[in-house]
Amino acid sequence: MKRFRSAFPAFASACLAAVIVSAARPQYGGTLRIDTRANIRTLDPAASPSDVVETAASNRIAPLVFEPLVFVDPAGGLKPLLAASWESQAGGKRWRFRMRGGVRLHDGTPLEPWHVATSLRGVESTWTIAADGDAIVIDLPQPRPSLPWELTDRRHAIAVRRTPTEMIGTGPFRIDRIDAGRVWLRAHDSYWSGRPFVDIVQIEMGRSFAAQLTDLEVGRADLIELQPTDARRLTQRGLQVAASRPLDLFALVFEPHRAGSSSEPLRRSLARAFERVALCNVLLQGRAEPAETLLPAWLSGYAPAFAAPAGLPLSRSAIMRLPVDQRTLTLRVEAGDALARSIAERIAVDARESGVLVTVQVPAGLAPRPDVRLVRVGLDATSPDRALARVMAALGSRTVALATNEPAPAIGAPLDVVLRVERALLEASIVVPVAHVPELYGVGERVDEWDAQPVTATGGWNLANLWLKPPAPEARARP
Amino acid sequence: MTLRNRLFALVSAAVALTVVLVTSTVASSARRAFAAVDAQRTAALVAQIRREFAAEGEQVIARLERIAASDAVLRTAGDVGRSKSDLSLHVGEAAPLASAQGLDFLDLVGDNGTIISSAHWPARFGYRHPWAADVKPPASAAFLQRVDLPGEVALGLLATLTVTAGDRRLLVTGGRRLDQHFLNALVLPQGTRVLLYRNLEPEVSRQQLIDASGVVPEAAPLDPLIARVRQSGQEAREDVAWPEAETVDALPLKGHDGTVLGVLLISSSRRELSALVTRIRWSGIGFGALGLAFGFGLSYVLASRVTRPVEQLAEAARAVAAGDWNAGVDVSAASSEIAALAEAFATMTGQLVDQRDRLVQAERVAAWRELARRLAHELKNPLFPLRLTLDNLRRARTLPPGEFNEVFEEGMGALATGLANLNTVVGRFSDFARMPVPEWADVSPNAVVQQTARLFQAQLEAPGQPAIVVALDLDPSAGSIRADGEQIGRALQNLLLNAIDAMPRGGQLTIRTRRSAGGILLDVADTGEGLTAEERERLFTPYYTTKQHGTGLGLAIVQAVVTDHGGKIWVDSTPARGTTFHIELPVGPTPCEKAAL
Repeated sequence: MKRFRSAFPAFASACLAAVIVSAARPQYGGTLRIDTRANIRTLDPAASPSDVVETAASNRIAPLVFEPLVFVDPAGGLKPLLAASWESQAGGKRWRFRMRGGVRLHDGTPLEPWHVATSLRGVESTWTIAADGDAIVIDLPQPRPSLPWELTDRRHAIAVRRTPTEMIGTGPFRIDRIDAGRVWLRAHDSYWSGRPFVDIVQIEMGRSFAAQLTDLEVGRADLIELQPTDARRLTQRGLQVAASRPLDLFALVFEPHRAGSSSEPLRRSLARAFERVALCNVLLQGRAEPAETLLPAWLSGYAPAFAAPAGLPLSRSAIMRLPVDQRTLTLRVEAGDALARSIAERIAVDARESGVLVTVQVPAGLAPRPDVRLVRVGLDATSPDRALARVMAALGSRTVALATNEPAPAIGAPLDVVLRVERALLEASIVVPVAHVPELYGVGERVDEWDAQPVTATGGWNLANLWLKPPAPEARARP
Repeated sequence: MTLRNRLFALVSAAVALTVVLVTSTVASSARRAFAAVDAQRTAALVAQIRREFAAEGEQVIARLERIAASDAVLRTAGDVGRSKSDLSLHVGEAAPLASAQGLDFLDLVGDNGTIISSAHWPARFGYRHPWAADVKPPASAAFLQRVDLPGEVALGLLATLTVTAGDRRLLVTGGRRLDQHFLNALVLPQGTRVLLYRNLEPEVSRQQLIDASGVVPEAAPLDPLIARVRQSGQEAREDVAWPEAETVDALPLKGHDGTVLGVLLISSSRRELSALVTRIRWSGIGFGALGLAFGFGLSYVLASRVTRPVEQLAEAARAVAAGDWNAGVDVSAASSEIAALAEAFATMTGQLVDQRDRLVQAERVAAWRELARRLAHELKNPLFPLRLTLDNLRRARTLPPGEFNEVFEEGMGALATGLANLNTVVGRFSDFARMPVPEWADVSPNAVVQQTARLFQAQLEAPGQPAIVVALDLDPSAGSIRADGEQIGRALQNLLLNAIDAMPRGGQLTIRTRRSAGGILLDVADTGEGLTAEERERLFTPYYTTKQHGTGLGLAIVQAVVTDHGGKIWVDSTPARGTTFHIELPVGPTPCEKAAL
């Protein structure tokens, strides 16, 4: 009896620990349901998406199926993926990538170097790509020191075409079916990094933000896209919100007829008129960062020390003395971007307090020419030079030419060059950063994971490492 | 104006005056009745709208109370009551609350007047609410308020509640927009509509005038009324043609501070009144037409009894004047006075006919006497040489045969000449008795004149003849006429012979042709002694002559020819200065020719 008394707590503790471990242990199986606004026609890495929304969604889904040779780790730079290592020769004109061993395609066959060479030849016709033992050799017409960075792009993911319509890759999931409005991905049992926990990923396409929110709340979805304004609603309901680092830049871009030097004081006044901190903390519920620079601090590192463009803004009385047509601005936002509209309306309220009359224009069709646009630019989460170059490309050559004569920084350009170019770009207040906004996702109650978030810092979907909790006993008993 | 027309005018005027008086009286009564009904209807509608406003306000308050009691507002109020709480977490509270309660406007306002959350203008968080902290209406009352929205200003029926948290308070202010949806919810009687002018701009703006279907187009006729109510703040009423006649009652809608924030326009259609007045007017016109018809019938009957016999008498008198001596009047339907008049007329015409017959008989005797005298005169001249010849022959029986033969031959010649003269005289009378029918052809009057003048040229130029100068004044545009050229020429010869005889001491004979309105005018003028009045009167009487050797048939033949050609002849004469005969002949086919064809 005494022995029993002394053994019982130990037994109870062991049982409790077993229950806890059992509850926390990864579970295989189940269907992970994801909602997205995008309508994806194909996951072919070489295909060009039709719009920004499809591009963003494809950038998240395609890596689940097709993997590149190398990828970008925000913390550690370039990391090998399908390539185990690489080296350059001839000053960057020849590159040799040694392939990772044990990688299998979705049909179970081993990934051979010639598969990789064939895939890359499909998107880069000027490169000479050959298999050489367990490696591939890429000969380039010109030296490209940044080739590994370029290979991180989705277009360079390895896709093996079995039939004109069937493609397979090496990712943790394989394409099971693509219907109108829905994509099914099935777990790749022979994935080189270990089989994913969930069996199937079902992606519902064309779902509005409101519909996604409802789907998550009623348990019809496990992972949804989320707007910052809705984040609090989910947390109040005990649901998890997953966020990337700020990957979207909102910026005001003045049109050419408002980009002259005579309009610079008004532009500068508008740039100072709205309160970025209140906008991010209140309107965006603290899920965004006020932006004084184009590149976020996590990417450039210099943002906190970035000095605002020189020149004082006009006082309210000075603005009020301007003719009404000069201090009246039409601010255009894309019709489908509710977040951009909210930001624009807040800017309009703040601007009105400063004497600048801003009318928000949300055109559904043809509309009068605006004076300024609120643009949303997806940042390239790789390196400052690449990110700034991409921002400048997204702003358009005409806008960039109005703002500065500085060319976009070359790939691999040092940080001081990137800083100089960005400073020049913002000098005339033709481009005015507003906020950096992360990608937000609502995570359902069924989703569980060890330590990784469902979404990586760079926005990738970390679906291979999450699993679905088993249903509660009462739910299990329910027919 | 005839008696019938006067009767007609009199009856018509009486009927029309009566109809106008009755119509205007009935229309005026209808207008007054409609105005009374319209006033009652408008009053009822105003009362209904006030009730609707009150009910709407109560609903707004009830919904605000539910919002104020919600967890979200209580949490917000709690955070307001805490000094270091993060109010930004509540920025999105208002929109779902307003949506759930069906409110168009909702603001959660902090104790210091700062907007914490706004449903209708989410971007305005953090700014001071323009009026929530200042308004002091009774807690249970809704009020009108202008509400700022992004890009516009709206009019709303709002209320404000206070949620207390500790020593702090949270103002919950919200309400519904006053727009076409509010107007749409009103139950209106037939022929009535309600419009709302939202007094949100410095000047009268037609964009702010709405009805149940939205902005009212072409509302310019209402501008003065709206402007009057805006300025005075008092109710007003006006009849407006818009486009039909309508009576519009305008009620000012005031905010909690007495400012006129809107004008409610209740329009009652005057279509029914207009339709009734139109019906009355048309009835009047119909009755007037009936009255006119009655007047016409009455005047016709009266005319049948009075004026028609008079007209028949006048017609008979005209017929008698025209030579119809047998014209009579049927006075069987006439009154006694008219009948007596008709009998007197008949007696008069009978006596006139008797007198005419006697006159004709006397003239016929006179004519026979004149004919006998003329015949005796004409025959006496040729018979006298015959008698002398017969006496010479009787006396010559005693002469030697040679001388007898000479006398016999001379006597036979004289007898033959005398018989020829007798034959000529008889032939003239025979010709006049049997005037030939004209042979119609296109004849140039100028050519006839020239041909006739040539016939007389030798006679006039013969030695011992008086010096007569013939002057032809011919119109080149005379053209041609339809006539018998030979008869016209013979008539012209008779006129020339008369003219030559009228100028025994010479003179000027002028023959003239002219175009005239009636056709061709042919004048023969002499410069002889002229005619007396009696001669002019009897000039064309057969067998009348002023000449020693004339038969009196020349001018009668001329008149007969002219008459057969459908023309006319007349004479102008001045004693001692000459005589001019005028003949006018038609150009086209004459009735005589048509009758002959």
